[in-house]
Amino acid sequence: MLLDEVIDKAFDYRGNVTVVKTDGSETVGYLFNRNRDAAAPFVQMFDLDGAGPISIPYSDIRTIRFTGRDAAAGNSYAAWLRAKEAKAAQHPEKGSDPTPSRGA
Amino acid sequence: MSVPLSQMWAVASYVLRQKLAGRERYPLVLMLEPLFRCNLACAGCGKIQYPAQILRKHLTVEQCLAAVDECGAPVVSIPGGEPLMYPHIGPLVKALVARRKYVYLCTNAILLKEKLEAGLFEPSKYFSLSIHLDGLQEAHDEAVCRDGVYVDAVEGIKAALSRGFRVTTNSTLFDGANALRMREFFDTMMDLGVEGMMISPGYSYSKAPDQEHFLRTQRAHDLFSTLLSNPKRRWKFNQSPLFLQFLMGKRDFECTPWGNPTYNVFGWQRPCYLLQEGYAATFRELMETTRWENYGRRSGNEKCRDCMVHCGYEPSAVHHTFASWRGFRDTVQATVTGRY
Repeated sequence: MLLDEVIDKAFDYRGNVTVVKTDGSETVGYLFNRNRDAAAPFVQMFDLDGAGPISIPYSDIRTIRFTGRDAAAGNSYAAWLRAKEAKAAQHPEKGSDPTPSRGA
Repeated sequence: MSVPLSQMWAVASYVLRQKLAGRERYPLVLMLEPLFRCNLACAGCGKIQYPAQILRKHLTVEQCLAAVDECGAPVVSIPGGEPLMYPHIGPLVKALVARRKYVYLCTNAILLKEKLEAGLFEPSKYFSLSIHLDGLQEAHDEAVCRDGVYVDAVEGIKAALSRGFRVTTNSTLFDGANALRMREFFDTMMDLGVEGMMISPGYSYSKAPDQEHFLRTQRAHDLFSTLLSNPKRRWKFNQSPLFLQFLMGKRDFECTPWGNPTYNVFGWQRPCYLLQEGYAATFRELMETTRWENYGRRSGNEKCRDCMVHCGYEPSAVHHTFASWRGFRDTVQATVTGRY
């Protein structure tokens, strides 16, 4: 995968990442911005303490590792449906639809 | 007619000033997100999925006010996250009202009664509590993935109204929404005494947990046509009647992505409230360096293809109102007659 593609993937990722720089150092945190149209393309991050923004030029990045949990990979809706199903099973007299449609 | 005349005048005079100044692009509503933290995890929301250190962050009041001043929009909407969890929400609202900005605080109302009892806010014609309600009890509690939230919200509405606050509702509709039940919902909100309602189809956030129930264009037209045909005179909507006609498929607009610019802990969000394609450090940078031609239906951008959300199309409707005498006439006619 090309560096641009890795950066785009990191930008789209809702978890912390580790940016490995060309000098061997690493920055861990949430990568919230990337600007590939700037004269010197860069990414921006908040570190694990929320400090930042930390700007890192594309030219300083060797690779990015996806080291944190993806917060968007959660299953709150699925969990809600499972809870509804369990509740309906416990109280069938209420007649809950086990697979309710949104907003119905 | 549910938008107060003073607010209508403030927006109208602002738009006319922009037109007289020859500004092609100008903001109408600043979407100010002081934090992403929320006390709900709604299935259709793609706003809150961040690591802990991001959810702990929030803007300072000074950052918020600097954004408001830089943007210049006459209306400031405060969504989030849940703005009642923002520790400085009282002083922020007070400062915005002092600037004569029309403020819509968009809340799930879980904390509303408690905050009102604590005296956090004062009633003002500039300040409206916009309560998130996606329907009657069963539908709303399902949309927010928690039982009891509808009841809390209604309690909050009653508490706010009894203290003299302006109260509106905002409802997001998804595929499967029951038009007849929504019409009952409109009746219920009017019975409660809310000033007006705002409705919009949901947007298919790529990060939202539920990816299956977003409305595509034709289904949205069908739903809103059923919902708004033969509207009751007592129903009041706190939004442009031309936008409602757009939702019904009676009008076509192109998106105005810069109409409701968004500012949050990351900066100015490109290109709009819904899409996150990067951030600009200043409002000017946002307006001048975003490739606006890449967004909206005509651009062919598939992320925009089925979007009919208020933040892109309500500014288009307002622009249309002031772009010609016909647009103005149509708006006045729909506003006065209540027919969409």
